[in-house]
Amino acid sequence: MIAIEHLSKRFKTAAGKDHLALSDINLELKSGEFVSIIGPSGCGKSTLLYMIGGFIPASEGRILIDGKPVAGPGPDRGPVFQEFALFAWKTVLQNIAYGLRLQGKSKAEAEARARVLLKMVGLERFANFYPKELSGGMKQRVAIARTLAYDPQTLLMDEPFGALDAHTRTHLQRDLLQIWEEHRKTVLFVTHSVEEAVYLSDRVIVMAAGPGRIDRIIPIELDRPRQRSELMFDRRYQEYITQIEGMIDAFETEAA
Amino acid sequence: MTRHIPSICAGVALLLLWEIAHRSFGLSGLPGPVSAFRALPELLSDGDALYDIAQSLQRMAAGYLLAAVFGISFGLLMGTSPLAERLLNPLIMMIYPIPKAALMPILMIWLGIGDASKILVIFLGSSLPIIYHAWQGGRSVSQIVVWSAAAMGMGPVQRLFRIVLPAALPEIFIGLRTGLILALITMVVSEIVARSNGIGNLLFNSMDMALYDRMFAAIIIIAAMGYVLDLIFEAIRTRFLRWSDSGEHIQVAVG
Repeated sequence: MIAIEHLSKRFKTAAGKDHLALSDINLELKSGEFVSIIGPSGCGKSTLLYMIGGFIPASEGRILIDGKPVAGPGPDRGPVFQEFALFAWKTVLQNIAYGLRLQGKSKAEAEARARVLLKMVGLERFANFYPKELSGGMKQRVAIARTLAYDPQTLLMDEPFGALDAHTRTHLQRDLLQIWEEHRKTVLFVTHSVEEAVYLSDRVIVMAAGPGRIDRIIPIELDRPRQRSELMFDRRYQEYITQIEGMIDAFETEAA
Repeated sequence: MTRHIPSICAGVALLLLWEIAHRSFGLSGLPGPVSAFRALPELLSDGDALYDIAQSLQRMAAGYLLAAVFGISFGLLMGTSPLAERLLNPLIMMIYPIPKAALMPILMIWLGIGDASKILVIFLGSSLPIIYHAWQGGRSVSQIVVWSAAAMGMGPVQRLFRIVLPAALPEIFIGLRTGLILALITMVVSEIVARSNGIGNLLFNSMDMALYDRMFAAIIIIAAMGYVLDLIFEAIRTRFLRWSDSGEHIQVAVG
């Protein structure tokens, strides 16, 4: 379980002024829960994710994981970034095996597990390719497999499908849900797409900007496993989307 | 084979121009390419000349390798630590435009005319572009790539060697190539200023004795050394950077 208590983040701007990026965030994530964060740009949703990852320190408040405060990055929380962040000098297989090798697994053992994951994301033919030789969608599959390889309890996904074309995005959303159904990791998923958030999540956190804060948390009570084609005609699905879109529109008119 | 045709044409054109200049000026200090190339086998079978070339290459290798190790470490430190960057940036920018070979007389006073002063000046001459490019390479390493490694449990020191260094390698190689050419130039100049042995010494001794054929043969040897070193360098670089978009070729400006 992840508990976020009175979390704030201040930055120094280039002009030397104090900027409050996140103000008094309180949130609890249950184990195995799929939670999306959505909100206008500048609401600090990625910053929140990076703080949970331990990549940047909090200014005030704390983050507890199973009762222990976060002091830095660790293999219990696996990030997946929009720009993939693969190790360009390693092959696809080496990328996926990397985390396991760091945990002291033998080369053979790490590669065997990497091959299983590679098969799961449908890229077994590309084991010896370098990342530059892959398309965006393939790179993101590798990045997801690389993170799953070291078996983190929580996935921290920062607009992971934001840079992909619509077709690839739909595919990867479906695959992600399938993987999640199987492994039930806690997922915190930052996105710009309301439709994506509703389709994937148990709860959608709507954030507002200036300063970044949680405006509302909306539980998505749709049955699982979910089929996108069926959801399209589901009245509740449409209502969730309309409701959240309306809230974000309101923020943006306010800001303008 | 067809990709070599332009460079062969350029080589032939250069030799033609040389021959034309030789014939039209008729200077004894400008022998034609034919006589210069004729002096080549004689020079290369001369034990003293070979010793000179070997000495030059040894000093160049020593100075260049020192510059590579020092320059990459220093540059990456600057690229990853904002404090080191703020401290060292003004220093680098002041030292960069000084022609390092011009320091040779002072170094000779301090260290004598032996290997030490020459190796030091080659080191100084080639290290700045290596520092500069390692710094830029280190700076441009994507934060999220480093974070991805941190999330796997990799500590800061390991991240510097196993993530930042390989990620910065394409840029580092640009600095290493500029540094290699500068090392060759500084090596020759150092031997011209402090003559004891070496290819620069060979060149100027030949000039002193008005052995112009031999002098131009020495110039051809220096050019060939540059060419061969660059070929070796490129082979190493493409091997290391197969994974990179910049694996194909790089262009270097020596200012």
